[in-house]
Amino acid sequence: MIDPSATAPEPPRRKFLDWLLGTSVGALVLAILYPATRYMIPPEAAESSSASVTLPFAPDDVAPNTGRVFKFGNRPGLLIRTPTNELKAFSAACTHLGCIVQYRPDLAEIWCACHNGHFDLNGRNVAGPPPSPLEDFTVNVRGDEIIVGRKT
Amino acid sequence: MLATCVGAMILLLGRPDVTSAQSDSVAAETCVTCHQAMPDGPLSDPVKRYGDDVHSGKGFGCVACHGGDGTVLGPEAMDPARGFLRDLSRPQIPTMCGHCHSDPTFMRQYNPGLRVDQEAEYQTSVHGRRLAEENDSLVATCISCHPAHGIRPPSDPLSSVHPLNVSKTCGACHANADYMADYGIPTDQATKYEGSVHGEALLVARDLSAPTCNDCHGNHGAAPPGVSWVGNTCGQCHSVQEQHFQTSRHGELFPLIGIPGCAACHNNHDIPAASDEMIGMGEGAVCAKCHTEESEGGTQALVIRRLIDSLRTQLDSARHLLESAENSGIEVSQAQYDLEGAHSALVESRAAVHTFRAAAVDSSVSVGLAITDNAFVSGIKALGELRFRRTGLAVFALITVVLIVALLLKIKEIEGPTMSYIMFTRELRVPDDRRPGPSDRHDEESS
Repeated sequence: MIDPSATAPEPPRRKFLDWLLGTSVGALVLAILYPATRYMIPPEAAESSSASVTLPFAPDDVAPNTGRVFKFGNRPGLLIRTPTNELKAFSAACTHLGCIVQYRPDLAEIWCACHNGHFDLNGRNVAGPPPSPLEDFTVNVRGDEIIVGRKT
Repeated sequence: MLATCVGAMILLLGRPDVTSAQSDSVAAETCVTCHQAMPDGPLSDPVKRYGDDVHSGKGFGCVACHGGDGTVLGPEAMDPARGFLRDLSRPQIPTMCGHCHSDPTFMRQYNPGLRVDQEAEYQTSVHGRRLAEENDSLVATCISCHPAHGIRPPSDPLSSVHPLNVSKTCGACHANADYMADYGIPTDQATKYEGSVHGEALLVARDLSAPTCNDCHGNHGAAPPGVSWVGNTCGQCHSVQEQHFQTSRHGELFPLIGIPGCAACHNNHDIPAASDEMIGMGEGAVCAKCHTEESEGGTQALVIRRLIDSLRTQLDSARHLLESAENSGIEVSQAQYDLEGAHSALVESRAAVHTFRAAAVDSSVSVGLAITDNAFVSGIKALGELRFRRTGLAVFALITVVLIVALLLKIKEIEGPTMSYIMFTRELRVPDDRRPGPSDRHDEESS
């Protein structure tokens, strides 16, 4: 006796389901593997700015009586080395209208070019329109790294 | 003449030195013994208030200003022969205060940093000149601003000359229309000042660096700024704008035609917060007060306004774009950091407006626009990344749903014939008497 089921063609619905399952599993594997591979490569990410940041230059790169603007989160900061060789860091956003301040070696002061605001080496507003001192940060040197953080 | 006599009398009496002044404290003087026991009024109030006076704290008593003899109890202490000065008149007051306050050697003992030119400055003020030249009986003297017997240092918030109180002190006379009736000058300066950008900063925001009356008019040498030096006055704080203005055509011409520099556009007492709307020829634009659109000045104003507007709108758009990316979890802090440079450029370009030359403004605006262009590239790239991730998530979710549906259908297909067969054979094995009948249903209901 011949088994009819052995020779009968597979129904179209079953073929379709098998195809659907096969392709879905393949697509699922791809959909998992591709993003996983993509995520294995670290995206461009900033160092957390909420508390501290490691500066992209070494302490020796900052000579006495100079200053360098650095990125603190998405805002600018200013690291200065005073004429007496002390490292200090402040927010570089002028407290008047938010321009980026800079270090003036000729005055040994922090200066805002927008409206000629002057801050002393402790960040205090001493001349011009700035109404309040610059926010000051903590500076820690560990080997060749400078870590600047917000004061708690 | 009277003032000279008072001065001569004080010189005869001699100036209190540190030791004697401090030993002659108000409590040690006999004046207090009688005057504090008197009924409330002008003879006892000074004694009651004097305890808070800065001079009291330094050990000066009544005799230091009023003369007389504080060691004698009774009316004899107020004998003119003992140097007592009865009823000090208005012209006597600056001389009396200046007797100590104009002497650097004497003042150094108490406050080495205090200036000693107040009396000299006063003589150059409108107040001092009117007093000296016209013997004006209404004009302010030392005690109009530094109330006698209750003088506090300017750093004391309760002082009448503390920055927060200066406009009230000046306004006590200058805002009094009846008092000022004979002078023919406005009396709305204090009200205008209080509503100005400076008044708001000082009196509302309590920013003690904001200017008040004396920062523009001087204090002891108070006088209205002259037409040609208004810029110098404002330039004490707004130095960059002043430098731009001095090198501009306006800076050259305004003094010649009697226009008061900064005040021509910004007013004097009712100075509004500066805005971009003040530039150009539209409503609220101060340039339109003098220039027509067709004139060279009008054309420059329109170009300057377009430049400022372009940078401002580009900066706002770039900021918004980066914020959208940031809020969606994409890292854009470098682009946001770089964009701060465009903000600085916008502030600088607004200051450069005071050159009144479009080319000068354009040099700052161009720097800012280059930065905003880079920010747009970063923002669009970040949002492209966001779109890619969202699309990937949607595709993944769709594939997952399709897979689940397909699996369910497959399970149903595989199990479908088998389950039907099992159910069929079970039915065959159940005897008829075991099949549930109507009586069973009744039993179930009753139970």
